[in-house]
Amino acid sequence: MPDVLVWLMKAGAIFGILLGTAAYLTLAERKVSAWIQYRYGPNRVGPWGLFQPFADLIKFIFKEEVAPAGANPLMFRLAPFLSAIPAMLTVAVIPFGPEVRIGEVATNLSIVDLDVGALYLLAFSGLAVYGPILGGWASNSKYSLLGGLRASAQMVSYELTLILCLLAVVTLSGTLDLREIVTSQAERGVWNVFVQPVAFVLFVVATFAETNRHPFDFAECEPELVGGFHTEYSAMRFALFFLGEYCAMIVMAGLTTTLFLGGFGIPFVEDPHWVLGFLAFMTKTAMFLFLFLWVRWTLPRFRFDQLMGLGWKVFLPVALVNLFLTGAVVSLLG
Amino acid sequence: MVVVERKELTLAERLYLPEIFRGMAITFRKLFAKRVTRQYPEEPLPTTEVTRGQPRLVVNDDGNIACVSCGLCEAACPAYAITIDGHETDRTIEREPERFDIDMLRCILCGFCEEACPKDAIFMSDELELADYTRQALVYNIERLKRPKSALQARIDYVYRLNDRWQSSSSTS
Repeated sequence: MPDVLVWLMKAGAIFGILLGTAAYLTLAERKVSAWIQYRYGPNRVGPWGLFQPFADLIKFIFKEEVAPAGANPLMFRLAPFLSAIPAMLTVAVIPFGPEVRIGEVATNLSIVDLDVGALYLLAFSGLAVYGPILGGWASNSKYSLLGGLRASAQMVSYELTLILCLLAVVTLSGTLDLREIVTSQAERGVWNVFVQPVAFVLFVVATFAETNRHPFDFAECEPELVGGFHTEYSAMRFALFFLGEYCAMIVMAGLTTTLFLGGFGIPFVEDPHWVLGFLAFMTKTAMFLFLFLWVRWTLPRFRFDQLMGLGWKVFLPVALVNLFLTGAVVSLLG
Repeated sequence: MVVVERKELTLAERLYLPEIFRGMAITFRKLFAKRVTRQYPEEPLPTTEVTRGQPRLVVNDDGNIACVSCGLCEAACPAYAITIDGHETDRTIEREPERFDIDMLRCILCGFCEEACPKDAIFMSDELELADYTRQALVYNIERLKRPKSALQARIDYVYRLNDRWQSSSSTS
């Protein structure tokens, strides 16, 4: 089988998994929120409401699109794509599983294995900040603009912590290739979460801020800003913002799994079958996704100055010290 | 001057994480708690004989409607929801309604018709659901209002008990 065909199949499968998971994550969010609040959640469309995402999609497609009169036409239409596409692109470097062998074809279960995978991922997730800020600015609405400003300030400041924590892991593994970070954890026999507990906690919290999730969802912040940067959006463009948020959550959950929880590795199992490896990866990622939902329906929202204070005065110094200590230990032990 | 003593926060409280985990433990337990939502169309609203639902006309056990079209309920109705035309019958009770319409969109479920009726012919049932696509469809005619006496018996007994109490005791005597 030609390489291009294999690559296309891989890309299609992984992209399908990403979008399917994002669709069902919206259902999971509504279900989890309902259960926590003694409710049933959506249960009318199909068994246990399992077809709800399709109903939502159909609704989004058939709704009328409304744009404010003063909106910048180009930017207003561009922003949802800028929000959704970087989140979808970042999934390319996440290693979903070990090497797959079917017949004579052997390939790694990720769209590409870049030597600088971590860098690529950070670069593209950094682009995601353009979606909220452009959407907020182009809407010509004060609420949208405030939401966009907050989103950009928050994403930029928490990205620092995110990068510093990732660098600590990179220092340990000595590579930016995400697949090699996974294999190095398997070789060492211990997951990075036990070697880098501080970086792990900081990374997870920074992920929440980076994806604009509770308790850091100041980009939306309904009580103050109506709907934040997507106040003025409707129909499919709103759905794209939504899709971007959920795709970013999935990628970040996958990244946390890869960096700290041994990716597709299974403890005490040498060289597992690729199906098992894939399932292990998906299980760990699903746990993180559940954590996202769980935290959202547990914690109240921070105050914006508290968020910035936490990011710059606590997380950044701690992450810096952690990186410094990691570097020192690694260079001393060689 | 009042000096407010601020409690010094412990390290665990300032770290904030233990409290987060405590909160998350609580919400995790609630994931499996009993649901309180009533699944409405499948689980109907609980009703008792005190429930003052839509008025319905009593059909006696011999198959004849109890109403004699005297028009008292029509007069008592504060919302002008009732319209009655009567005609004569061959029975001992010489009159019955030819037309008895209640506009359910006007009806305010006050129960005055039930109180006004001298023949125990109209009672507030426990039927509460009211939905259709046109206004005209919600003007109920006599056929849609008829209910066998057995279906309304609980309400009839309740109204009798209530009337007995009013007769036997008064707040002014």
